[in-house]
Amino acid sequence: MTNYSAKILNNATGALAAQQAVIAATSNNIANVNTPGYSRRVVELQTRASTAEGSGLSIGNGVEVGRLNRLTDSFLEKLLREGAADQSSFGVQSELLKRVDALFALDGNAPTIGSTLTAFFAAADDLTADPSSIPLRQAFIERGNDLVTAIRSTYNTIASIQDEANTRIATEVDTVNSLTEQIAFLNGNIRANERTGNVAADDRDRRDVLLQKLSEKLDFNTIELADGTVQLSLSNGFVLVNGTESRELSVTNTPSFASGTIPPSLSGGVLNYVVYDYSGGNGTPAHVDLSNVIKTSGGGTIGGLLQLRGTVDANSGATTPFAADGLLVEAASRVEAIAYTLATTVNESYLGGDADPSTPLVLDTRVGDLDGNTPADNSPGDYAFSLFSYNYAGGALDADGDGFATNTDWETNGITSIASVLSFGISDPRRIAAAENSGTLIAPAFAPGDGRNMQALAALKDQSYTFAASGSSISVTGTFGDAYAEAVGFVGNQKRAIDIQYSAAKDNLLTAQNSRDEISGVSLDEEFASLIKFQKAYQASAKMMQVADTLLDQIVGLI
Amino acid sequence: MTRVTESQLLRNNLSHIGRSRDHILKLNDQIGTGLKVANPSDSELSATIEKYRQTLDQLDSYANRTAGVKSFLTFQDDALSQVGELLTRAREIASQASNSTNSPETRAQMAEEVFQIRDHLVQLANSRYQGKYVWGGGASGSAVPPYVQTTDYANGTGKALERYEFDTSEVGRSVTRTVNISEGLTLDIDTPGNQVFDNALFGLERLGRSLAGYQTNPATGAPDGTGNAYTFPADYELQTTEIRAAMDMLKSAQDDDIQPQRVTLGGKLRRIETAESMLQLGKGSVQEALDKLQNADIAESASNLTQAQTVLQAALAVTSRVLNQTILDYV
Repeated sequence: MTNYSAKILNNATGALAAQQAVIAATSNNIANVNTPGYSRRVVELQTRASTAEGSGLSIGNGVEVGRLNRLTDSFLEKLLREGAADQSSFGVQSELLKRVDALFALDGNAPTIGSTLTAFFAAADDLTADPSSIPLRQAFIERGNDLVTAIRSTYNTIASIQDEANTRIATEVDTVNSLTEQIAFLNGNIRANERTGNVAADDRDRRDVLLQKLSEKLDFNTIELADGTVQLSLSNGFVLVNGTESRELSVTNTPSFASGTIPPSLSGGVLNYVVYDYSGGNGTPAHVDLSNVIKTSGGGTIGGLLQLRGTVDANSGATTPFAADGLLVEAASRVEAIAYTLATTVNESYLGGDADPSTPLVLDTRVGDLDGNTPADNSPGDYAFSLFSYNYAGGALDADGDGFATNTDWETNGITSIASVLSFGISDPRRIAAAENSGTLIAPAFAPGDGRNMQALAALKDQSYTFAASGSSISVTGTFGDAYAEAVGFVGNQKRAIDIQYSAAKDNLLTAQNSRDEISGVSLDEEFASLIKFQKAYQASAKMMQVADTLLDQIVGLI
Repeated sequence: MTRVTESQLLRNNLSHIGRSRDHILKLNDQIGTGLKVANPSDSELSATIEKYRQTLDQLDSYANRTAGVKSFLTFQDDALSQVGELLTRAREIASQASNSTNSPETRAQMAEEVFQIRDHLVQLANSRYQGKYVWGGGASGSAVPPYVQTTDYANGTGKALERYEFDTSEVGRSVTRTVNISEGLTLDIDTPGNQVFDNALFGLERLGRSLAGYQTNPATGAPDGTGNAYTFPADYELQTTEIRAAMDMLKSAQDDDIQPQRVTLGGKLRRIETAESMLQLGKGSVQEALDKLQNADIAESASNLTQAQTVLQAALAVTSRVLNQTILDYV
């Protein structure tokens, strides 16, 4: 006769263990309800393999723990990473552009290039009404200084934001290296643990969190291999992590692929290149440029920062910072174009319209000789008579000695942008050349009450120019006011576009997080329901044990 | 069945609250500053707004300038009106003196008044506005007045020995000033003194000298310093003729120089006034357009704010209720 008592006892102990396992998994789920990246786990129960009894009946051998299921969906994880990549990319761009946006404010509280331009030309107009008035001349100088200050501070703020983006890229690349290293390490753990057929749930959760963090830095593709490891690569196929190996990226401003001098940044520094060094740090560096790949994909903070900061072809031979792309460069080149036109065309008109160094300068310079000084001549140092000059600590402003501080001079002096150093050349109100020549070409004479040069200057506000920074492909045709308004429109529209994308990215990320939680998130309701269910099953199994004990007692009692 | 976890609820609710607060912050800023567009990114029309702002600034600067120019031109008109009165008085004297009942002695007494009128006219021609010679041309700021005294007559005593002439030693005497009054409208705001006063002054000098008993040069009509004393009674008729010639000269100075100058000034003042009212109109319409684009409708913003606050309160209430409900309350 088959002894069923033993079977009952056996089934009951098996059941106790199985229900306990489920309750243990539930307890782990509840414990991790708020752990980021945790995927809920479900213990799958299965019947224990049974053997046919002597009676031919297959009653069954009870229950056993089948496997631990980690509930995830790799597609949703991918969506989540894409959402995070977009959100961080647009987030960092929106944050930095906000500061550029404020430089072009329309609220009239702080002076902008636009308001100071209007005030400057109005001061020239005012001076026409009474050219020898020292207070009006003083006002003209002050409006001129306001204008150059507004231009300088606008340009230099944009340049410093570019520098900041440049530095942030370097620190973000460090973070990327630490993340890829940890992912490679976890790859190794997962491969080792899953060889036995288990699911390395904790390591996989951790790896998903790291992948999520990495996606906040840059865009990458993942492939999960059969051994449980993930391979990470950039969009051009450059492998970041393969198995337990990770490749360390670095930033450099002396890339080995550059044949000559690298174009400068807005502040006169150098833009970093994100590179991988194939030489491994031994001997001559063998860099491969990854900046463009990361920028084109555009995701993550590094992608966003690169798009904002811009990149430049190291071999373009460009010598100005405006050859680079990027929103900051495009905004700065608009400011530079205004400064450049002031320092060239407006200066030339003011000085007599002829900046040809072969002509003796004294013949075509309109300098009011109020203080009895000799009018401008060909000696260096007459730069002070230019309306717009530049700050330079390195020596003569008039580097080529033609009597003008012009673009060739600042280029000779190694200044890459005039907007960053623009200054107003006149500080003595008596030295403003308000008059035109009332004498002859040979003996020029200037009347203190003559405002014709100022009138010509004031008329330049309605003059149409082509505004373009040296080396930049952006060109705007119109008046000074138009050029500035175009810059306002550009900055505003770019910021708006990025804000709209940022807000869409936030929504997408929220949806992706919710979708992921729908599958992988822990629901306390569910866990409690399951807790009650398995608690009851545990109680019932315990009762079964008691029954089996009673049955055995009955038999033993017979003896 | 869709699984809804606590973290989803929390995340969604926080996102709603965040958005609500963001909206309130924006409305708050709008009400605080009165602007719905403070930075370029606040509107897709920011370039247009910037142009409007430039135009307004420009119109303001024109308005400031026209006020000064108007006062300058009015000053000139007042001075020229006095010049007109002086010339009328001089013509009365001339007309009276040309009467043959007057003896040479009486005529000589009348000369005194004419020379005083001449000095007065020179004073007016050398008048200053804000410290600068009104009729000084491009040299208005220099220390030398437009009319300077010379004493180069060969004959004559006292006042009859002096004459005034327009200074040309200073650079730029013939330069006039042109000012932008408004978009596309520029005005000459001054005239070099010789174009206004030379004929009147020569007429007065000629009248004064002939009354005082000295010949003038009838051919050129201007005293050139070559005149000799008349011999009476032989030259009495000649004196009368020259007084009449001077009288004609004064008339033509008044009709051809002073009066047209005043008409021109009046015309300029009217153009400025027209320009001012156009500026005002332009400013009004630009301001209105700018208001529409840039200024917040405070009443609307305030009511939106109230609404946004209600939404926020609801979101907060929902969050605290939903998140407080757990199965634990029922187990």
